[in-house]
Amino acid sequence: MIYNKTNFCVLACLVLFLCGTYAFSQEPVAPSNVVAKDTPNDDGTSITVTWDTIPEESGIVSYTILRNTDAGEFKEIADKINPKEILDKKKPNLSKYKDTKIVKGKSHAYIVHAVYIDDAPMDSEEILTLIGFLRRLLRMFGYKSEMHIPSEQTAAVKATGQWFHTGKTPLFLAMLLFSSAIVWNIYHARSGREVFIRRIPGLEAVEEAIGRATEMGRSILYVLGLGGVDNVATIASMTILGQVARRTADYETSLRVPCNDPIVLNVVREMVKTSYLDVGRPDAYNEDDIFFLTTDQFAYAAGVDGMMIREKPAAVFLQGQFYAESLLMAETGNSIGAIQIAGTDSEHQLPFFIAACDYTLIGEELYAASAYLSKEPMLLGSLKGQDWGKLLIFAAIILGVSLEFFGINWITTLLRSVS
Amino acid sequence: MKRQVPLALCFLFGVAMIYTQFSPHQYSEAVYNEVIKWGLIISPFALVLAVVTLIQTHTSRIRFRSEHWQYSFIVFIGMIVMVAVGLFFVPNWLLNLLPENVSTALADVQIGPQNPVFVWLYDNVQVPMDATMFSLLAFFIASAAFRAFRARAFEATLLLITAMFVMLGNIPVGDLVWNKVISWLPLPESWVLLEDGTSRMEDGASWLRQEILDVPNTAARRGIILGVSLGVISQSIRIILGIERSYLGGGD
Repeated sequence: MIYNKTNFCVLACLVLFLCGTYAFSQEPVAPSNVVAKDTPNDDGTSITVTWDTIPEESGIVSYTILRNTDAGEFKEIADKINPKEILDKKKPNLSKYKDTKIVKGKSHAYIVHAVYIDDAPMDSEEILTLIGFLRRLLRMFGYKSEMHIPSEQTAAVKATGQWFHTGKTPLFLAMLLFSSAIVWNIYHARSGREVFIRRIPGLEAVEEAIGRATEMGRSILYVLGLGGVDNVATIASMTILGQVARRTADYETSLRVPCNDPIVLNVVREMVKTSYLDVGRPDAYNEDDIFFLTTDQFAYAAGVDGMMIREKPAAVFLQGQFYAESLLMAETGNSIGAIQIAGTDSEHQLPFFIAACDYTLIGEELYAASAYLSKEPMLLGSLKGQDWGKLLIFAAIILGVSLEFFGINWITTLLRSVS
Repeated sequence: MKRQVPLALCFLFGVAMIYTQFSPHQYSEAVYNEVIKWGLIISPFALVLAVVTLIQTHTSRIRFRSEHWQYSFIVFIGMIVMVAVGLFFVPNWLLNLLPENVSTALADVQIGPQNPVFVWLYDNVQVPMDATMFSLLAFFIASAAFRAFRARAFEATLLLITAMFVMLGNIPVGDLVWNKVISWLPLPESWVLLEDGTSRMEDGASWLRQEILDVPNTAARRGIILGVSLGVISQSIRIILGIERSYLGGGD
């Protein structure tokens, strides 16, 4: 009886083995043209393995990647990789796997396994054959055989970091071109040639606002926004403040600056103090007028609003980076009848300022302010360079749109590749 | 010398930081991260100065009995209470160093930001006050919109009409109103019907709102962004080259 049972088991195993072997109706193929190379434009922490994509019709279900280190033993580093997820976006006939867990300074070789599984559909004729019947039987018991077809081993590769990201070359060239235009204009402006600069009403009104405050005997409130000292808009705002401080020192008008950032506070104190010194009025400088309120956004807005209501400044400057608190401050300033000059590069806050303030510096005008107010030739020269850059972009947009109408899209492709 | 050294450092670090944006190398990334850390180190020192100025400001308000000087007491009370509750925070690494019975006792007291009093004060004072300020924005938007949409000039009228369409598209009943109104207009069928047989005017208010936001609004925003980006580069070059140096505290 035991003998019969053993025989039955051996027979069953044989049948299963045969079924497993013959179960694949389509020819499984090994990954071909497998190449491993150092990932370009990275910090030397990855190697990219590519191979020809195996068609879905072949029945492939996943890939398994094996790797060795310094010609050692191959070990599995990734399995059950979905073939659809690793298709190269630009070349779908290429599959790509990026190994980011390499050992720095060591060379690695790779083997890619194509994994197949027996779950291909069967037609009625196939089911009637012996193999088809056995396959069906195996599936009923939940048995799915897996087959790994290995590729050839790749050459060993060592990853190294690159000093320049070649994908950013167009961006780098554009930056060089634009910077050269600015530097060239600054250089030529040093000769003293007059540079035309269009009238910016918001900056023309600075003098008017300070004059009004002086006549009314009230203070001027200068708000620098929520940006830190590393924010370009805040730096631009500080340069405007320097110019405003020179005039308030001249007119002996009180200038109040509530700060949101501790570093900005210290820089601003130094700047305003120097402005007062420059116009020969160090005695008019009051350090307590430049003070810290809070770093909290709405507490800062509440503090500034409170100052506006209590002190009723004649002029309010809102220059720098603003978020949701912009309208809270601008509307309060409007309600007390102060002349308000706002300026920000946050395009979402500009409509609020335009609606609530008398004058608004829109985006780039904020950066042009220091040149406009100081009339320094070198600063004005940089504005001209900036305009050249705008002209170039404008021309590229017009040319790109025109060419698109004729089906020529190299400008669009170039810009897309840069982004 | 007082000016030359900061300007030289500004140039050096400015160029280095630009380079890090174009170099993926690990050394370049290390330099970038290190410089960012240096910036963070400066902040605590500046914060001490800031707190000192805050105390000075409110002390002088109380001393000179400025208008509403009583509120300065609230600033001091708030500051002292929150600092007192928050200052006794014992970090985990210190708890591990302390004898077990001491660290267990301290952990049981729940001092620092985990302190229930601290959490209660934050949740029931700070958060509602922030929310109140933020809520005021709705009323301010209404009052600002009322002024902005007064049809005093051609541009303001255009703004008013556009805003009406956008608001109509934003409200649930907007499409119903639109469909009723538009059904009275003799619009050519070739324009109304789309290629897939659906009507362009179905949910027209939402469609028009989206068109306004996607086309003219996006175009204007991109124009501003382009100008801002070029302005930022120009300003950065001026700072790096030492032409714009007012942030150092003076014109020269």
